[in-house]
Amino acid sequence: MKFAVFQQSRQGGRKYNQDRVAYSYSKDAVLLVVADGMGGHYHGEVAAQITVQMIADMFQKHARPHIKDPHRFLSAAMISGHEAILDYTTKHNLMESPRTTCVAAIVQQDHAYWAHVGDSRLYMFRGMRMVTRTKDHSKVQQMFDEGKISEAEMYTHPERNKIYNCLGGFLPPDVELGKRMPIRDGDTLMLCSDGVWSVLSVAEIASIIDTYTITRAIPELLDHAEFRGGEDGDNLSAVGLTWGEAQKRGLHHDTVSTAQMPLEDVTTRLDPFSVQRDPAARQPVTEDDIERTIAEIQTAIKKYSK
Amino acid sequence: MPSQANRALPKAYQLQNYKIAKQLSGGGFSIVYLAHDENGVPVAIKEYLPSQLVLREEGSLVQATTAENLATFRYGMKCFFEEGRALAKINHPNVVRVTNFFRANETVYMVMRYERGKTMQDEIQSRKRVIRESFIRRVFAELLNGLREVHTHKILHLDIKPANIYIRLDGSPVLLDFGAARQTLTLEKTKLSPMYTPGFASPEQYKNRDLLGPWTDIYSVGATMFSCLAGFAPQAADQRLQNDKLVSAKKLWGGQYSDQLLEIIDWCLQLNYMDRPQSVFQLQKAILEKFPELPPKKPKLFDTIRQTLTKEIF
Repeated sequence: MKFAVFQQSRQGGRKYNQDRVAYSYSKDAVLLVVADGMGGHYHGEVAAQITVQMIADMFQKHARPHIKDPHRFLSAAMISGHEAILDYTTKHNLMESPRTTCVAAIVQQDHAYWAHVGDSRLYMFRGMRMVTRTKDHSKVQQMFDEGKISEAEMYTHPERNKIYNCLGGFLPPDVELGKRMPIRDGDTLMLCSDGVWSVLSVAEIASIIDTYTITRAIPELLDHAEFRGGEDGDNLSAVGLTWGEAQKRGLHHDTVSTAQMPLEDVTTRLDPFSVQRDPAARQPVTEDDIERTIAEIQTAIKKYSK
Repeated sequence: MPSQANRALPKAYQLQNYKIAKQLSGGGFSIVYLAHDENGVPVAIKEYLPSQLVLREEGSLVQATTAENLATFRYGMKCFFEEGRALAKINHPNVVRVTNFFRANETVYMVMRYERGKTMQDEIQSRKRVIRESFIRRVFAELLNGLREVHTHKILHLDIKPANIYIRLDGSPVLLDFGAARQTLTLEKTKLSPMYTPGFASPEQYKNRDLLGPWTDIYSVGATMFSCLAGFAPQAADQRLQNDKLVSAKKLWGGQYSDQLLEIIDWCLQLNYMDRPQSVFQLQKAILEKFPELPPKKPKLFDTIRQTLTKEIF
């Protein structure tokens, strides 16, 4: 099994990063997860962390070396995430349970499987063409489906942030499963939070993904999204996977090959939980800042002068 | 706000270990000097001096005009730092090299390698003959190497034009003046108004500045190529948005240059940013594509005679 994978999560202009991303792979299967903790709710990042951790743990247990029934696994993993959040709420006597969206995908045996709850999305691209994407569990998507608003209005509607399906809520989540999709060499899956997709058009995402390898494309996407999001832009997270060993126009892929992996081994990339620092970005520029920056630039000049 | 001209540092002024020789240029944001270091090596020094915010009437010290402006001045300094910080990491033959960065006179200075040659603008204006396709392809392919490096460091140049491209004596291009580049790094509303050059600036630089991207620099590259052929800049983008009078390169120079090159120029000059090449890499690939040689024209009688007379004998 060969693929290239890359993930990144950024704070954007917010005080905290409530998004969590992870990927994990065994010899025969890959898992990708994005969870977006809900801002209006207490401890949104806790919910996202618990969910991502839960799904990655379960993957590690069950991918021996592939998952028997990926759809059932995804659905069960998300419900476990939901329950773990409720357990946490009870244990810590929280007034209200923290909530999160979640989208997760599994790729194995040349097929992709995915599931989602809320408005974090999965996109599948083949070259410049979008093969499919998940449909948000959001009020605006509902209104669009009912023909009440246009597609363009979905991006600007005042209630665009309202979602009716999440993990950690009163009602158990309604996990939506995608179809089993054959995946070809060179196809790309991209999972992201709404901080990314809400400010980029599909054509923009497609052209970036088509132009660069995934290790360059993800930072590039986040750069554009972060720039558009501006000073108080949302958290931005994305994880992308390009299947096979496709060489994109002579560019070198950092391809992962699992050929040599032992059967029981699982590699996971999940950032540990930590409280994000407060942004000091808007502080006035002090004398110290100036001195420090100059020293920094001089070091950079020296370093790159060779 | 009345915009008073700031005094440049006088000739022979000793700025740390650099001796000022003369002022090379002065923008609204900074002044660039030619200076020599202690070994007599010429350098270009850029002084952060936004004329709307600070004033230097006499002597060398810079003073903010009001207390409020001092904060903005400091803020702009941060942007100047960003430019220095970004350029410091770029060591590329086709991008101007920063060699030092220091603080003096209550403001900051950036020292750059001084390049000998002339700007592409001079090149265009001084050439009596038509600029050849092979020249355009070679210079731009090389220049785009530099621009790619710049974009890799998350910077947009935003002021690419013949005057900001230097052609060294050996014919290689260097991308200069990242004074406008600061704009991309922040959305902070400052008193430092956006800078652009009509004719070379893309439509999104006039409005919709949140749409800036690699395609913005690509528009300017297209406009620069256009001006190489035309000898003047294309119609300004804001006017094009109202009433597009730009004639396509393909129509203007069909037959003189390969269709493929002319199509590239027209592609870069699309008003809708989505219709242009989306990355420098994409554009560079197109430029480097093997271009079809023009079918040889039947030589005219005078051409044959002229050729015979000017034939190199050795």
